Amino acid sequence: MSRLHIADTGLFVAMGQSSNSRYKAVRRFARRNDVTFVLPERVYEELTVDDPDAEEVPIDTAIDEGWATVAAPLEFSEPVVSRVMDGVQRYIANGDDRPADGVERADAALAALAAQHLNAGTATEVYIYTTDIAAGEGAKTVLASEGYGDSVTFVNGFRFIEDLVAGDS
Amino acid sequence: MSRTSDRADGDIVRDFLSVADLLEEPQLAQLYAYLAREGEATVQDVMDDLELAQGTAYSYVNRLVDAGVVDITDDEQPRRYAAREIDLTVTTATGDREYTITPALIDAVGRRETDADIDTYIGRHGVAGLATALTYAVARERGEVTHRLMAEDLDISPLAGEMILQALRPVVHEHYDIEEAGAGLDELDIDNGDAADDA
Repeated sequence: MSRLHIADTGLFVAMGQSSNSRYKAVRRFARRNDVTFVLPERVYEELTVDDPDAEEVPIDTAIDEGWATVAAPLEFSEPVVSRVMDGVQRYIANGDDRPADGVERADAALAALAAQHLNAGTATEVYIYTTDIAAGEGAKTVLASEGYGDSVTFVNGFRFIEDLVAGDS
Repeated sequence: MSRTSDRADGDIVRDFLSVADLLEEPQLAQLYAYLAREGEATVQDVMDDLELAQGTAYSYVNRLVDAGVVDITDDEQPRRYAAREIDLTVTTATGDREYTITPALIDAVGRRETDADIDTYIGRHGVAGLATALTYAVARERGEVTHRLMAEDLDISPLAGEMILQALRPVVHEHYDIEEAGAGLDELDIDNGDAADDA
């Protein structure tokens, strides 16, 4: 049984700088459980944007330390990948009464990456760590409609980190 | 215009100016938010919980009372103070935007003293911008929008959006009823080893 851990931007923002207890708690969790967080390309681009208004996120440190990695581009030629992509975009658009094509594709990339691996059999269980409830619920709902309901867990990034930090103290 | 409505207008303007003071001075906003949260407090409580010197605490409390946003609820010594509910809708000069000044917004502004992300955001987008970000923060915690939709709407980077949403999250959970969503560590079905292994 192989597990895939997909991380969204918010998880890494919530960890803060590498000197901080939240970052260390997640790193310890990853090492202890042999977990590597996989980031869709778009998530990596968001985290490494050059924005003077935003503090730098130490994602490259996590990658160098070996517990985070960037996913290969999505395989849209797989029908299930594009179906899940569209499905999540529609789900998020409905939640806010806006047209589905107005929804950022990165929100749906988390679920699409999960679908790609479940479909190929390279993962049998997927965890999606995000701080966007709409993206997490959307991924779970749409992947369930593809028959992967029991294989997907939406992990609330804030709760996850809070639980880890509480367990460490 | 009748004298009565003149007086009513005067009250509104006075209320607005006192609230504007609160938004200008994070220390006053912080104290107001503290009183709103505690329900009632004495100056001694304020000194202990906000780590203010006696003179400062008295001066801030008196300014809030004079501004009419805090009431004295018990005149016996020690006096007890409580925040008055504020709910003021402001329309910008161009009339294209409107935001409501609520205790949650005042609380958020008060946190700029201790939160660099909130301070940076106000510096860049003003209190009106923070008010907009707060409405997105509430909607995001309710699962209605994502940080990317907010970033797109406001033309900021998704990273900057995520940062201010995270900075405002404690304010949202303090002032609004939010249902918990998603799994925590316990539901992860991963045996996180034993904390004692962690040498």
